[in-house]
Amino acid sequence: MDPVKYRNLFLEEATEHLGEIGRALLELEKDPRAGEALDLVFRLVHSIKGMGASLGYDAVSDLAHRLEDRLGRWRARGGIDEPGGLPLLFRCLEGLERMVAAVRETGAAPPPEPELVAALGGPAAAEPAPAKKAQPQPARELG
Amino acid sequence: MAVRVLVADDARFMRQLIREIIEPEGFEVVGEAADGRSVVEEFARLQPDIVTMDIVMPKRSGIDAVREILALDPGARIAMVSALGQEALVMEALQAGASDYIVKPFKPEAVVATLRKVAEKER
Repeated sequence: MDPVKYRNLFLEEATEHLGEIGRALLELEKDPRAGEALDLVFRLVHSIKGMGASLGYDAVSDLAHRLEDRLGRWRARGGIDEPGGLPLLFRCLEGLERMVAAVRETGAAPPPEPELVAALGGPAAAEPAPAKKAQPQPARELG
Repeated sequence: MAVRVLVADDARFMRQLIREIIEPEGFEVVGEAADGRSVVEEFARLQPDIVTMDIVMPKRSGIDAVREILALDPGARIAMVSALGQEALVMEALQAGASDYIVKPFKPEAVVATLRKVAEKER
């Protein structure tokens, strides 16, 4: 895995995704129950989480994971049904934008603001993995 | 003969990463799809040996795409690509007929081992 190539791919896709998330949040500002916009934000945050984890940007994947969990709860309830929900989403967007900018400038993602992490709450407790026969456990991991 | 693989993921990053992991190991990526609708179309067109299927994709979820592909070809072999926190969705995909799953972030050896196992399954 060429880290520079994949960092550039991450920067390119994450920047596109954050732009799309910003536009979707404007839709949600008009209608907090806009299902398509909420689905889009969920999917793009999920994608940022996966890319961040693959490159070892734990701060990115952790913030995205917490946000994804919160978005998942809103989706299950049919929309953003908390008064502080949208401001929290905009703060998360800013937080992710800062991290991506830091990756571009320094190659590393800084930790998210503790207040933001506290506001989002913890990621859902991991469920047991589905039953699967033992797989090789290699030392190296792309993430 | 190389095992022919169709890679479905909405992230170019992930499609490229899977390609780089598996191609040196004797797999041939014959196509890519970026959403749950085009993967079904590409499956019908390319008839790959294996599909790697992301779960969260636009237009149609990976799980819905599994159901559609298996309706077209009940012997299709599909490996789900899952992430932390998606255990329930992986179970749903396996119940829908997916053959196995790989987990992000990828452990290259585990990805290759899983795809080899899936390729050996009876159709």
